[in-house]
This record gives sequence, structure tokens and C-alpha cells, in this order.
Amino acid sequence: MVTIDLGKTSVREGNEKIRQCGKNGEDVEVVNPDARHHIGVGLVHPITVKVKGSAGYFCAGLSDAANFEVESNVGWGVGDNMYSGSVVVGGNAGAIPGVAIRGAEIVIRGNMGSRAGQVMKAGTLCCEGNANFMAGYMMYGGRIIILGDSGEKVGEDMSAGEIFVAGKVEDLGSDAELTDIDSAEIDEVMKFLDRYKIPFKGSFQKVVNAGKKLRYATSEQQMRSIPFFSFSGASDYWNPKIQEDLYIKSQIGRYRIRGYGGARPLPHFSDIAFKKDLSLAGGDADVVSKIKMRTEIGGINGAEPLKLSMPVMIAPMSYGALSASTKRAIGLASTLSDIAENTGEGGMSDAQRGAAKQLIFQMLGGRLGWNIHDMNRADGLEIYISQGAKPGLGGQLMAKKVTPELAKIRGIPAGIDLRSPSRHPDILGADDLVIKVEELREATGYRLPVSIKLGAGRVRDDIKIAVKDGFDFIELDGMQGSTGAGSAEVIDYVGIPTLPAIIEALNALEEIGRRDDIQIVLMGGIRDGVDAVKALCLGADAVALGTSTIIAGGCIACMQCHVGQCVTGIATQDPEHEKRYDPEVESQNIHRFLESVRWQIATIANELGYNDVTQFSRDDLVALTPEAAAMTGLPYDPQYGDADLDIKVRAAV
Amino acid sequence: MCGIAGIMLKDSSDFKTGEALVNMLNGCQHRGPDSTGFALYGDSQKNTLKLRLLVGQGEIGVAAIAQIKKTLKENDASIIEDEHIGETYRATVNYSGDIQKFSYALEHAAKVVSIGNSLDIIKDVGSAEDVDASYDIRKYKGSHGLGHVRLATESDVKPEAAHPFWATGFADVAIVHNGQITNYWKMRRRLEQRDYEFRTDNDSELIAVYLADKLSQGIKLKEALKTSIEDLDGTFSFLVSTEDEIGYAKDHLAVKPMVMYETEDMVAIASEEVSLNKLFPGQALNTKEPPPGTYNTWSRSI
Repeated sequence: MVTIDLGKTSVREGNEKIRQCGKNGEDVEVVNPDARHHIGVGLVHPITVKVKGSAGYFCAGLSDAANFEVESNVGWGVGDNMYSGSVVVGGNAGAIPGVAIRGAEIVIRGNMGSRAGQVMKAGTLCCEGNANFMAGYMMYGGRIIILGDSGEKVGEDMSAGEIFVAGKVEDLGSDAELTDIDSAEIDEVMKFLDRYKIPFKGSFQKVVNAGKKLRYATSEQQMRSIPFFSFSGASDYWNPKIQEDLYIKSQIGRYRIRGYGGARPLPHFSDIAFKKDLSLAGGDADVVSKIKMRTEIGGINGAEPLKLSMPVMIAPMSYGALSASTKRAIGLASTLSDIAENTGEGGMSDAQRGAAKQLIFQMLGGRLGWNIHDMNRADGLEIYISQGAKPGLGGQLMAKKVTPELAKIRGIPAGIDLRSPSRHPDILGADDLVIKVEELREATGYRLPVSIKLGAGRVRDDIKIAVKDGFDFIELDGMQGSTGAGSAEVIDYVGIPTLPAIIEALNALEEIGRRDDIQIVLMGGIRDGVDAVKALCLGADAVALGTSTIIAGGCIACMQCHVGQCVTGIATQDPEHEKRYDPEVESQNIHRFLESVRWQIATIANELGYNDVTQFSRDDLVALTPEAAAMTGLPYDPQYGDADLDIKVRAAV
Repeated sequence: MCGIAGIMLKDSSDFKTGEALVNMLNGCQHRGPDSTGFALYGDSQKNTLKLRLLVGQGEIGVAAIAQIKKTLKENDASIIEDEHIGETYRATVNYSGDIQKFSYALEHAAKVVSIGNSLDIIKDVGSAEDVDASYDIRKYKGSHGLGHVRLATESDVKPEAAHPFWATGFADVAIVHNGQITNYWKMRRRLEQRDYEFRTDNDSELIAVYLADKLSQGIKLKEALKTSIEDLDGTFSFLVSTEDEIGYAKDHLAVKPMVMYETEDMVAIASEEVSLNKLFPGQALNTKEPPPGTYNTWSRSI
């Protein structure tokens, strides 16, 4: 038994020692814990850790196979995201005990705080005392045993799993109901109680999902919709896409879910232009070798940065929304072009990891597929707060796409209409976010850059928070960003366009004098190298491409991504459809597209007289419309658009 | 976007509240590294007021103090003792008139931090240790007090944006708050229609004035906290203190953390247990998490 005194060593040093002990097979006793946060996070070896006192937030979090005994109380999120192993808490637990667990056993001898077992997927959370409100909130599976009273709204919005309550069921949550228990289930519960020497004589009531809310009565059907490329007309009211929208609603009787980005014209990169005439650019075949394009992202606070061959990365898109073949093709292309790929929501498959040399692993509120092992093999960690296409809302993955394999990675029941939570269980403000970022860093030994993905909404405040909370970079996503499934109203009408988003972000950093303390990766409708350069000129450190890579890989933009019957085999989980997609061919197509982006960036840089992509300046740009000028603060000078220069530039480079 | 702390000794008036709050806030400084503040309650004497105003340092401060002294004279307040310390001017004065009018008058001279028979609010940028180093917080004794660490998000890092907030115009009422009030302007307009003046756009000041207004109508603090949960929209955990009482309220969503530890002699409330542990190092405490939509108050017995 190794003793670690947190009165003398920092939590960071203590955790390093505990991890070392885990490797060596030695058990650990932690003295003077004094409710410090993150004790024992990120353990992946069998080890017993005895905490002599109280632990703070996320004790035993992000671990697999470790056994914890905490003498007194724990703060928020005990056992956060544990895969296996156990935690026994001698006293009370704060809010969200057992949040997002994937198989561990957690026993609280005293009472437990609110939202116990939120988004848990498997395993058992047992409380000998009373639960506070919303136990089992949004749980996807597993078992909660409450020997005392249930608290209010037990089982609120749970999708699956069981909650056994021995005391009073005070109040059932939305879409939860009481059901019969068979004796085999009771035997299993009693076995669990015996194993943890919990004396109990009494009976249980069982709370489960009522199945009325999270599933549509009518399944999503394919519509003959107008392709995304088709211009909807300048009118913001009666135009063909609006008519189509009404027609679809007349068929399904509810708001329409669709893929792709907003179909409404908004000021964008074509509304700003280069001051210099670039229409004769592109003559230098050797231009790529002349421009310094290598860009490091995420290293400013000492983490190992992403090393990009150009200031471009792949935007987060999930395996789930996209087929495994598509993710493979994008991963391979990212490796061929030596940039970074991103898992998006829903976990990391071996295939994805194998295909992409540099891979960012995204964490969402539902913690779908999030786990310590994939964190350890990632090249960057990303906390998703929201996305440009639907800021403030969680992801949507319709039942057709929730296959057994996908459900297994995500830890959810197969065949549900998956609505990811719109917010994190443990990030309810900037103050909690600090503690969460620290947990991720502690669990991975401060090795990986940690980024924040922000849909453009309250940009000015959000950016300031991101800097204060110590993120290494921001992925800022404007309203022109796309999605695999979202409510059409939200996609078209909610958010801040990409142009003003980057400007507001930079102004916010200016206000607090922290421009050099964070990097910004801009995304949201960036189509090619010309858009990319304009974004870099405006002040982004790099850009991320999503939709354009999908289109380069064969997407026809029919906007039916949500249905799951994608004819090109991209946005589907149906093997028959996926067959149509050849990842080896498409990876080459996407790679060639990315190389064209590289060529465009280099050519424009060369033409503007630069030899380094960090030299781009907003002085290189003008605005062609009053709206774009107002949004960007660039000089309004429509004559630069007279000869449709922008199109000419694209043709030239 | 913050950490809050409060403590009350039910039957002691010379407990080291300053030291206790510095330690508690040390424990949760990670929730708010930008600024730190304290509301400390000490001895009180009839017709004697403690004033604290933000004046700045050096020459600027001296000029502001001259202006304040002029205003004090105009309002028949005589200085018993005073001090220019840190960013603030602190004075004890003899005054027996209307406190609301007095405070609005003083506002024309400098930003008023607090006025009270017993209350003294001290807040500045920096950590609990920084503020203690400038203002000697640890020397304060009394029966109760509040503390706050702030992570600035929507406004600047400056002393006047720090918590606690004084209920402008009402002696001895202070508040610390973690969360946000979404019907801020609606509630503010309602209070302004009754001639209350606001010194900041901060929603915490609104809560303080809201509660103080109820108290001035003879409503008990506990009842005022109850109505605050219905009247204020948003998500919040806040602590309030008066000369004799301390209380909390928590909204129905209850996403802002709060834990409390209570014995026969004392109650301590904080955003995180780590703050409570600082009061009793090495001891395992039987703490509680107040349920959503709840409130409570405690009074000192002496």
C-alpha cells in the first residue's frame, strides 16, 4: 500500500503517482484529500484506491478497472464515465453521481445529489439513502437502486435502463412509468446488495421509460426535396424551398428534420473580395513549395500540438451521421494531405483511428462513445458546446441510422430516435467548465490539446469564457455550417453567420487583451481555398472543412442525410447503400480536393506577395455589400465586385 | 459563473469570520480567479454607520475623498474615523437621517460599496489572498459574513463588478450570487418605478434590492426568499445576509451548485464541499445539498 498525502503533493502529482502504482499493481491510500477534485481520474489498470476523507468533483472519473473506497463524501460526478471497476462512498454524494458510466458499480452509503446516473449507459448505481431530484435523468441503460426515497421527477426523460426504488417514489419524471418487477430481477438486485454487504429487507418499485416521448409515431420518410445546390430565390418568404417545406410538413404533420445547412441567403465569403486583382494568378506551377503553410494548432499551453501541413483541418462529423466507409475515406484523405480529422459525436472506431494520422476526439453532453481508452489514443480532445447549424441544440440521429453496431459504440439502445442532450451534465456554466477541462487534462497527463467547439451564438461572451477556461484552441462554427439532421427552422433561422462570428470573436479577444492566448479555427460554410484565405485574412488561425469534403467525396446534396437511405452511401448505416461508396476511391477524390485547397491558398499568398500563411491581413480585403461591410468592418467598395472578380479568382486559382 | 460562501455562528460575535471566509474562498478560487469579495458583519452602534466607497489609489483617490467629505458635511454626517485603503475609502460616521437618500447623495461623489451599521463590504480584483493582503480581511471578527470569487464573463474585471453586492440604499443587506437572472430588466423596471436607483447592470444587485425592498415593507427575510424564487426567472444559487440573519435561495432548475453544513452552533454554505472542508481540515463532514426551489434562513441569537 502506497500512501499519497494530498496535504503535501498536488493532485496532478498525486494522480501521476496513482497511475504509476496502477501499472505496478500497487494499491494506494490517499490521505488529506480535503475534497479536492479529480482524485484518481484516468486510471486504466486494476488498483484499489482508498481515499481517507472526502473527495471533490469527478473522483474516479474516466477510469476503467479501478476500485475506489472513499471514506466520507464526494462532490459532483463521482465515477464519471467509468467503464468498469467500482466506487464505494462512505458518506453522501453531490450531484450527478455515476454520470455517464458504462459498466461500473457505484455505491453511495449516504444520500446522493440531483440527476444521479445522468446519461448512464450500463452498470449499477446504488444509493442506501435518499436520492435528490431527477435520478436517472436521460439515462440510456444500466440500473439505479435507491433504498431510500426517489426524489422528484425520477426517471426524467430516460431512454432505457431501470430504476429500483425501495422508499417512496415521490414523483415520476416526464416519460417515466412504474412497471411490474419479476422475481429474477429482484434476485439480481439482492445479489448486488449482498456483494456490497448492504443489509436490506423490503420491496421495490421499478421505474422505466414509458416510450411515449422519444420515439416518433410516424417514421421519417424520404421526400422529393429540392437539392441544396438549387437556389431558393432571393425572396425570404414565398420561394420554392419554403413551398417544399410546407409540402413536407403536410405529409409528416410535424416540423421537418433534414440534413445540410441553411438554405437562406446570408452574407458570406462571396460578399467580400480581395483588393488585389487576382484574375491572372495561378501561373506558377511550383507555388506550393514557395509558401510556408505548416501550421501548429493547440500547443500554446504546452500540449503536443496538431501539426497541419496547411492551416486546414476536417470539421467534426460523426460516424453515425456518416457511414464507416465515409469516415474512413475522410480519415485517409486527411492523412494523405497531412491535416487533422475529427470524430464528431459518437465515439471513435478502430477504423477511424487507423485511417487518420491525427484525430481529434469530441466529447458531447450525451457522452456517446466517450471513454478513457480512446482519449488516450487521440491527438486532441474537444468539448462540444454547440454547432453552427443548430446552436443550443443537441445532435439528432434518427432510428434508421441507430444500428446495433453504432448503438454499441455509443452505449445506447439500438433503434431509438437519438436526440443528444443539448447540454452537458457537468458543464452548466464557465465555472464548472474549468473543472471539466482540468479533469480531461488530469486524465490524460496534460499531453493533449483541449479545444472547445462553439456554434456561433453569444460569441463575444463565449470566446472570453473559452480563453479564461484555458482552452488551447476554439473551433468556431458559423450559421452556414451543416448537419446530418436538424430541424429546418433552426438550421435556417437560428445562429450567427460565419463572417460576423469571427469578427465578434476577435473583438472579444481584443477587449480582454488575450489574442495570443488562444487559436481560432473557423468553420461554417467554407467551400474552398479562396474562402479559406478570406477567413485567414479576417483573423482565423486555421479553417475546418466539412461539407466541402463530403461533396468532394461524392455527395449530391439532396438534404436527406437524416433518413438513412443515402443513395451515395455517405449518410447511411445500411450496408446495401454503403456498398455504393468506395472509400479507397473517395479518399483519393477528397485528397485531391484538399490539395486544390492547398494550391489556392499558396497561389493567393504568392500573388499577394507573401511567403507565409500567417502574413494574410484584413487589409487585403474589401466588402462588396453594405451588410458584409457592417458585419466585418471592412471598407464597403462594391466596384471590386463589378466584373464578378470573385468568380474570376476562383477560375484562375 | 462563480463560487459563493457564507458562514454564521449562531451564538458568537467574535468568531474569526474574516479568516474563515478567506480559507473557504481559497478552497474554491478555481471557480473564480478574477476577483474576490467579502461582506463582513461586526459591532454596531446606534446612529453610527460604516461606509466604504471606491475611490481609487493615489491622487485620484485623494480627490475623490475630498468630494466625499464635502458630501458627508452637506448631509450632517460627522466622521469618527476614516482610512484610505487599497482602492477604497472607509469611514465610520455619525449619521441619523434617511439612509437611502444619504447613499444616493454619496453616489454623486464616488461609487458606494456598502453602508451599514454592522456591514462592511470589501471587494477587489485578485484572489482571496490578494484581497486579504491589501485589506487585512483575516482580522475581521463577528458572527457572520459572505464571500465570493468571480469569473468575469459578461463584464470587465474591475472592483465594482466584484461581489458581494450591497442592496443600494438599504443598510446592512448584502448578497452573493452564482447564476443569472433572465427577467432582469423587467424586475429592475418594476423596482425603478418605485424610485429605487441601481448602480450597476449586474443581476446580483437586483436580487439585493429586491430583497431589501421586501424587508423595508416589514416582510420577513424568509418570506422574501420564498417569493424571490417565484419572481426571479433564471438559474441561481444565492446567499443573502442582514445584520442578524443569513439565508439562501435556489431556483427550481437548481443547476448551480450549493452545499451546506449545519451544526447546533453554526451553518456554513458554499458552492463546493472543498470550501467547507477548509473549515474543518481532515474531518469528514455530513453535508447536504439543498433541493431545487428551496430557501432557508438562520438568525444569530446574540
